[in-house]
Amino acid sequence: MSCNCENNGQQTLDQTIAKVDAIIGRIGTERNVIIPLLQALQEEFSYLPGDAIERIYEKTEIDRAQLISVSTFYSQFRHIPYGKHLIKVCTGTACHVKGATNVYDSFRRELKMDHDNITTNDQLFSIEKVACLGCCTLAPVVQIDEKIYGHVLPGKVNEVIDEFLEQEIQQQKATVKKTKSRVPGEIRLGMGSCCQASGSSDIYKELHKTSDELGIDVTIKSVGCVGVCNKVPLIDVVDEKGEITRYPNVKPEEIKEILHYHFKPGSLLKRLKNNLFNRVDTYHTDLTWNNVIWKPENERTGVINSFLSEQIHIATEGYGYLAPLNLEEYMGHGGFNALKKVVSEYRPNEVVKTVLESGLRGRGGGGFPTGKKWEMVATSTSPEKYVICNGDEGDPGAFMDRMILESYPFRVIEGMLIAGYATGANKGVFYIRAEYPLAVKRIRAALEFCREKNLLGKNIAGTNFSFDIEIFEGAGAFVCGEETALIASIEGERGFPKQRPPYPAVAGLNGLPTLVNNVETLSQLSFIINKGLNKYLKIGTDNSKGTKVFALAGKIKNGGLIEVPMGITLNQIIEDIGGGVEGGEKLKAVQIGGPSGGCIPANLCDVQVDFDAFNQMGAMMGSGGLVVLSEKDCMVDMARYFLSFTCEQSCGKCTFCRVGIRRMLDILDRLCSGNAVMEDIDKLEELAINVKKSSLCGLGKTAPNPVLTTLKYFRSEYEEHVQGLCKTGTCKDLIQYVVTDDCIGCTKCAKACPVDAIPYTPYEVHRINTETCVKCGLCIDECAFDAIKKVPIKDTVASE
Amino acid sequence: MQILINGKTVTAQEGETILKIAERIGYSIPTLCYADGAKHKSSCMVCAVKNTQNGQIIPSCSTVATDGMQLDTESDEIQQIRLMSLELLLSDHRADCEAPCSMVCPKGLDVERMLSFYDAEDYQAAYDVIAGAFQLPEVGCDSCKAPCEKACRRGTVDEPVAIRKIIHEVVDLFADKTDLGGKDKFNIDKKLFQSKLGRFSDDEKERLKETVTTKSSCLHCACSGKSDCKLREYSSAAGIKRTRYGLSSTLPVMQKEHVTGNLWFEQAKCVRCGLCVYNSTNGFTFKDRGFGMQVVIPTENKGNVSEKLAQLCPSGALYFSTKTPVEK
Repeated sequence: MSCNCENNGQQTLDQTIAKVDAIIGRIGTERNVIIPLLQALQEEFSYLPGDAIERIYEKTEIDRAQLISVSTFYSQFRHIPYGKHLIKVCTGTACHVKGATNVYDSFRRELKMDHDNITTNDQLFSIEKVACLGCCTLAPVVQIDEKIYGHVLPGKVNEVIDEFLEQEIQQQKATVKKTKSRVPGEIRLGMGSCCQASGSSDIYKELHKTSDELGIDVTIKSVGCVGVCNKVPLIDVVDEKGEITRYPNVKPEEIKEILHYHFKPGSLLKRLKNNLFNRVDTYHTDLTWNNVIWKPENERTGVINSFLSEQIHIATEGYGYLAPLNLEEYMGHGGFNALKKVVSEYRPNEVVKTVLESGLRGRGGGGFPTGKKWEMVATSTSPEKYVICNGDEGDPGAFMDRMILESYPFRVIEGMLIAGYATGANKGVFYIRAEYPLAVKRIRAALEFCREKNLLGKNIAGTNFSFDIEIFEGAGAFVCGEETALIASIEGERGFPKQRPPYPAVAGLNGLPTLVNNVETLSQLSFIINKGLNKYLKIGTDNSKGTKVFALAGKIKNGGLIEVPMGITLNQIIEDIGGGVEGGEKLKAVQIGGPSGGCIPANLCDVQVDFDAFNQMGAMMGSGGLVVLSEKDCMVDMARYFLSFTCEQSCGKCTFCRVGIRRMLDILDRLCSGNAVMEDIDKLEELAINVKKSSLCGLGKTAPNPVLTTLKYFRSEYEEHVQGLCKTGTCKDLIQYVVTDDCIGCTKCAKACPVDAIPYTPYEVHRINTETCVKCGLCIDECAFDAIKKVPIKDTVASE
Repeated sequence: MQILINGKTVTAQEGETILKIAERIGYSIPTLCYADGAKHKSSCMVCAVKNTQNGQIIPSCSTVATDGMQLDTESDEIQQIRLMSLELLLSDHRADCEAPCSMVCPKGLDVERMLSFYDAEDYQAAYDVIAGAFQLPEVGCDSCKAPCEKACRRGTVDEPVAIRKIIHEVVDLFADKTDLGGKDKFNIDKKLFQSKLGRFSDDEKERLKETVTTKSSCLHCACSGKSDCKLREYSSAAGIKRTRYGLSSTLPVMQKEHVTGNLWFEQAKCVRCGLCVYNSTNGFTFKDRGFGMQVVIPTENKGNVSEKLAQLCPSGALYFSTKTPVEK
C-alpha cells in the first residue's frame, strides 16, 4: 500500500480492476444495482477508490451523474480511505442524554486527532458519529470494528482503546479442544446486538471454554433478544431436572462456578479434580466474594420479574427460549401454522377482511390502518405485485425492528408470506438498514431454511401460492423509512420521496402495486390468525389494537426492549416496568417517537399508549423510541438535538424541509449559545408550524414535533435561554465550572482533567482555568466532596 | 370530473394538474421548480395550494386533480406559505441582484456594467455607459465622494476597485473625439427586489483574492442571470424587502463556472429545483443531501449538456454570457 514503486502501482491497478470486474460479474451492470454494487466495492476496498469507480463507468450502465448523485446521498459510502480500525460513537438519543458528545471529544483528544481530521496520523483509527447503534440501554455506546462497548465514560476511553488493542492480540491465540461428556439440560444465552455489546460473546466463548475444561457437554444455545437489556449478559440455566435458573449480569469469571453448581461432569476423577480446582479458584480470587450465584433467588430475579410482569409478547412471542434460527423449534411452537391455515382455509380477500377487522395499524410511525393498505394492493389486477418489509429503522433511539429481525426472523417472514397471499403478490423484499449486519445475516439464513422446507419459493406448502423474498440493504438514510423514498433507493436512485398520489399501493416498486409494511406490523399477523380475531381485539384501546414494542431508555433504572399492550399508561411503563427514574431523580418528560415525536411532560404521563392520544398531544408513536428524561435534562437542548438529526437526514428536495429546518436549527443554536432574542422564539414557532404544514413528506411534516411540543410544555425554558440561563447546565456555552470552598485540594480533579485546565496544587482550593476547560464533566465525576459546580456565565452566583 | 377551486366549480380532464386547471380559469400561481414541457419534481412549494377537505398543503404543479377535490389557491394562508417558501429560498441564495456600486451612484451610472466592458477591453462600450449617465465632458465623479468605492465588495476582500480612476482612464481615451453616436442610457430599476449577498467569510475572501483577477479587479457582483430570474420577479411581487432569516449557505459564493458554449453556472444562486438535473442526461447532478445538497456539473459531463438549459433555470444560477472567463 505504501509502496511508491511504479511497477507495483500498475500491478495494484490491475488487481483493483480484476476485483471490480469480479464484483460487477456477481452483482450486475444495470443502473438499479448501483447501491449493492457500491456496497460490495466498499466491503472490498473499505472505501470507494477512484480507480474502481472509473471501472464502473466503463463496464456498467451507471454513469457519472448517477454515481455522484447516489454515492453522496447515502451516508454509508466513504470517498476517502479510513484507518485500520473504525470507531463509531453512537449519538442516538439515549447516548446523547448520557453525554455522547463528550465521549466523542475524548476519543479525538486521546487519539490526538486535530482540526477536521477523522483519522489518526498512523492510520490506525478513524472515528465517526453514527445515528444509533441500537444499544440504547447501554448508553453511551461505542463500536470499534465489530466490538461494541457499553457505558463508555469520557475518562475511560483510553481503557477502551487499550482493551481493544489487547484483544486484537489475544484473538490470534488458538484454543484447545477437549473431550466432554454429554449431560442433559441446556444453557440459554441472549445474543442480540445489545447483549453482544455488553459482552455476551465473551460469555459464550467462556461457556464453551469452561465446559470444555470441565468436560461438561451441555447444549449452549444462543437465543434472541431477551429485552432486559440492562441486565445482560443474561443466561438461563436449564438443569437436568428442567428447572430454570436465571443469572443476570454474569461475568466471564463466574461461568465456571455456575456450570459447576448445576452440572456434574462425566468421570469421577474429573469431578474430583474439578472440585479441587474450583475450591482453589474460589479461595484465590476475590471475584467470587460478590458472586451472583450466592444471592437469594428473589434478589436475582425480582427486578426481571417486575420488568416482565406488565408485558404481553405478540411480536416477540417465544421470548427468551426460541433460538432465532431454529426453524424446527419455531414450527414446534406453532410457527407457520398461521401461514398454513391461511393458504389452505382462507381466500385472499378473507385474510384482508380479517386484518381490516383486527384494527391493526402500521407500527412504523403513522399508524395507517394496515387492512386499508392491503385492500388497495389486493384490488389491483396486476399479475405482479411486491410486498416490502420496511426494516429501515432510523430513529436514533429505537431498535425494536432490529431486535425482531435478529431474534424472530421466521415470524417476520411468515407475516410477509401472509401479506403476500392476501394481496396477491409474488415477490417480497426485506429492506434492512446497513447498520444492522446481524439482522441481515439472520434473515438471509432464515430465508434459506424456509426455502429448504418449501415455505418459500414455488408452490408453498403444496399450494398454488408462490412467493420469493430477497434482501436489500439500506445504505444509511433516515428518509428511506418513508415508503416512496425507500422504493426510490431500491430502484437505484437518491432517496427522494415522491409526491403521492399515486400511492405505492397503486404504483410502487418498478411501477407495480407495492405493499410496504413495517417489521413489527408483520410480526403481529401470525397471532391474529392463530389466536383469532376476538383474542386480538381484546388487547388494546378502541382505536389502537394489539401490542407495541418500545425501546425504553434514557434516565431509567431498568431499560430495555418491552412489548406492552396498547392502553397501558406511560407512568405504568416507567414505574412498573422500568422501576422509575435512574438515581432517584425526578421525572421531567418522556420523549416518545424520536425525531418525529415529541416530549410529553411528567404531569401528562398518565396518557395511554394509543396512536391518537399521542397525536393529540403533539407527539407521535413514531417507531417506538421511549426516552425518559429527568430534571437534569435540558429541553431546548433536546429539541436542538433532534433538529440537528433531521437537518442532517433531510433529503434536501423540498424547500421547507431543506431550508426551513436549517433556519429552525440556526435559532436553536443561538438559544443554546445565549445569542437569541425573545422574538426568535416566535419566529421558531412560526417556522415550525409552516414546516410541519408544507413539507412534502413525513420526515419534514413531523420534524418540527420535538420543537413544537417542547415549546408547548416547556416554553419558560426557552425564555430562560434567551436570558442566558440553562438551569440544567446542559448547554455548555451558558455555563462555566467553578470550584467551591468545599474543596480540600485532593488533586483528583487535576489528575482527571484531560486538558490540564486545573493546576496541580495539593492542599489548596483548586482553580479551573475557564479558557482551557472543555466542560467535559470529568472533574465533577471525580470530586468526592461535591466541590465543583456548573454556574451560569451571565451571573457568577451559583445556581442550585 | 368536477372540482372546486376557490368555490368555483370547474370541469377537469383526467390527469390534469391543479396548476393547469387553475390557470385555465384565470388564477395565476407562481412556480419555480416547474417548467412547461420539461421533466420536473415538485420541490420549491412556491405553487402551494390547499386541499380544503383534508387541510393538506400540496404542490399544484404535480398534483393531479381527483373528482370532487376542493381547493384554495388564493387565501391569505396560501399567500403566506408561498411568501415563506420564497423567504427561505432567499436565505440560502447568496447573490447580489445589482452590484452595490451601481446601486449607490448618485448619477445612476451602472458602474458594474461599465467595468464589465472595461474588463473585456471593449472601451467604446464602457465609454458609452459613462456617457449615458454623465454630462460629458464633465466627469460626474469629480464632485462626488465616491460612495461606489465605499460600497465596493472588492474592498472587503482587499482593495476596492479604483472606480474613479478607471472612469477617467476610459473618458480620457476618447477625450478628443466629439460625436460618438449612441449613448447607452441604462437605468437600474431600484423598485425591484434586491437580493443581498451578505458578508464574506475569511475563507471566501481568501479564495476570491486569489481567483478573481480581472483587469479592474472587479468581482462583478451584479447577477448575470437577473434578466429572467423568476425568483426575483416573485419576490418583487410579494413585496419582500429582505429575508427575515439569517443568510447562510454552504455553497461557494461567486464561483462562476464555465459549462459549455456561452453557458455559465453559479452555484451560490441555485435554488436546487433540479430542472437542469432532470433535463440533462449524464450532465448536471445532485451531490450530498439536506441543506448541504448541491447541484454540480462534473468536468467530464460538461459536453453532455445543452445551452438551452439556461432557459429552464428559475434563478440566475444558469445563464448565458459572452463575457470572457473572470475566473481561472
